[in-house]
Amino acid sequence: MNTQSIPYALHRRGLSISLLLLSSVLMSSLVTAPVQAAGKKSAPAATAKTDQKIPRLANGKPDFSGIWQTTSAADYDLEPHSNRKDAPPSAGIVDGGEIPYLPKALEQKKKNFEARATDDPALKGYTLGVPRGIYYPEPFQIFQRDKDLFLVHQFGHSVRTIYTNKTDHPEDPNDWWLGDSRGHWDGDTLVVDVRHFNDKTWLDHAGNFHSDALHIVEKWQFLDNNTIAYNATIEDPNVFSRPWTINVVLYRHREKNFQLIEDYRYTLDYDQYYPPKPDKK
Amino acid sequence: MKKTLHHRSLTVSGMMIATLSLISINTIAAEESKKQEDAKPAATEQKAQTPNPAGSGIAKETRFPNIASGAWKGAKLPDGQPDIQGHWSNTIGNHNNFTDPQGGLPNDPNPNRAPKNAREDRAPSRVSDPADGQVPFQPWAAEKVKQFQAKFHDPTEPQFVEPLARCAPAGVPKSLYWHGYEIAQYPDYVVFFFDSGSRIIHLDGKPHLPSNIKLWNGDSRGHWEGNTLVVDVDNHNGKALFGRTGEFISENGKIQERYIFNEDGTRFNYEGVFTDPTVYTRPFTVTIPARKWTEKDTPNGWHFQTSIATHSGKEIILDHEERICSENNGGFGLGAVETKK
Repeated sequence: MNTQSIPYALHRRGLSISLLLLSSVLMSSLVTAPVQAAGKKSAPAATAKTDQKIPRLANGKPDFSGIWQTTSAADYDLEPHSNRKDAPPSAGIVDGGEIPYLPKALEQKKKNFEARATDDPALKGYTLGVPRGIYYPEPFQIFQRDKDLFLVHQFGHSVRTIYTNKTDHPEDPNDWWLGDSRGHWDGDTLVVDVRHFNDKTWLDHAGNFHSDALHIVEKWQFLDNNTIAYNATIEDPNVFSRPWTINVVLYRHREKNFQLIEDYRYTLDYDQYYPPKPDKK
Repeated sequence: MKKTLHHRSLTVSGMMIATLSLISINTIAAEESKKQEDAKPAATEQKAQTPNPAGSGIAKETRFPNIASGAWKGAKLPDGQPDIQGHWSNTIGNHNNFTDPQGGLPNDPNPNRAPKNAREDRAPSRVSDPADGQVPFQPWAAEKVKQFQAKFHDPTEPQFVEPLARCAPAGVPKSLYWHGYEIAQYPDYVVFFFDSGSRIIHLDGKPHLPSNIKLWNGDSRGHWEGNTLVVDVDNHNGKALFGRTGEFISENGKIQERYIFNEDGTRFNYEGVFTDPTVYTRPFTVTIPARKWTEKDTPNGWHFQTSIATHSGKEIILDHEERICSENNGGFGLGAVETKK
């Protein structure tokens, strides 16, 4: 590991850790039940009891509009892990614990893990991809209409569109950082099929990765007005031996005047050159 | 899966090259286009709705109608906002030249790309006040702009690389004359999804962010006055230049914007008052005309940068591909990053 990078990583994550600890103390009573339920069932969305008073669009569909963020440690490492210099401990968010890598892919994952302090694409400010943008420790905002949902991620100000207008994936598209997302409603659950990815994103800071054959099926469902159960099944025959599933809980930001603050991390290397300034005399 | 990102990078780079080569086409076309009278929006519309072939380049209206602020008589959304959602673009030129939108690049090393027609036969300056069409720069700032224009074609120092070429957000106001863009509306929000960066306009009256937070797209607070969206832009980092001609505002600047929509919601004029006592000698006004694009138009890869969705029905449904350059984090779609390895 590049030891020079450790303080940077710690600095980057320091605030998140504090927030995480604070949140877990404040919310433990509220959160414990749904999280445990989510952890034990492969499809918590189907078992969650949805409050009938959840926000809805005029067409009756659940309205996920709002600013959301997880308190989980998923982005440090999706799999169960002890504490280490650059991550708090976590039981992980993968159903069954471990990600079912193919042998060769597991070797690559281990290399990624060793090089994470320099090679994690997120450290370069790259678009996080799907599902990482959902559980990365920065907020994202959902703007929802009947025909689509726009997800604007604070990190990189990346924009992801989920179409809910009964359209299909394009037939011969480019590969995308955020894939191509087509959603439909199964009762009060938004089911999203995402494919046509590139292979440039990681799934977390621990080097879990995928190829351009990645295929994801997401399920979004309200647990209550201010809480979403997010479930994603991840499939990639080039990397994994079988599909596997993750579950995270997303909380609505309810702080007064809370808003996204665009976080164009990748411009920091050159932004000092602009705009022109008066010459020093 | 079928096409790799390299392909996409090439596409993006190719687009940049295409943009440069289109300047000459554009200029010739501007010569040929007949001067349109101010008060003839109908004629303008007819021209604008003629479908352009794919990749047909940058729009080139030489005149555009005035639109007065007033009551909104068109469709409204359930929350009372005028419904102006959809796909939009500027109508006079891209960011090659801020004050002479069809005038090509100053100091262009290729003389064939220089405009052949008279200044008055090209679109007016985006600076509508003062009357000379020039940004009222303080002398030091005017000198910096001159330097930028001289070095643009051979950027020997990093400050002479146009930041959009690094895939930085196009910012305010340049996003409005780059590619086409989509406007979506929600209770308490108008959102501009630009090709290079997005702007979230907050309508709920919350205060601006703390003043030490500076952003490429600024921090926008808006409200509707009849047919006019009025937006106050603060927290601007001043880093996104206004074009390849290098005009700029600083992080001390403030921008008051008015987006004035016409009666049938097919056009709007942007009027922004730019104030920055550390860079300018007086406030000045920027005017940018825009038109709407709908399912009746043919996607053209630039102003109407959409595609036709795949679905089982017969009606045309528009798709928009991932906004790649800015969201893709590298010069020309990662080209710079990839070659660095």
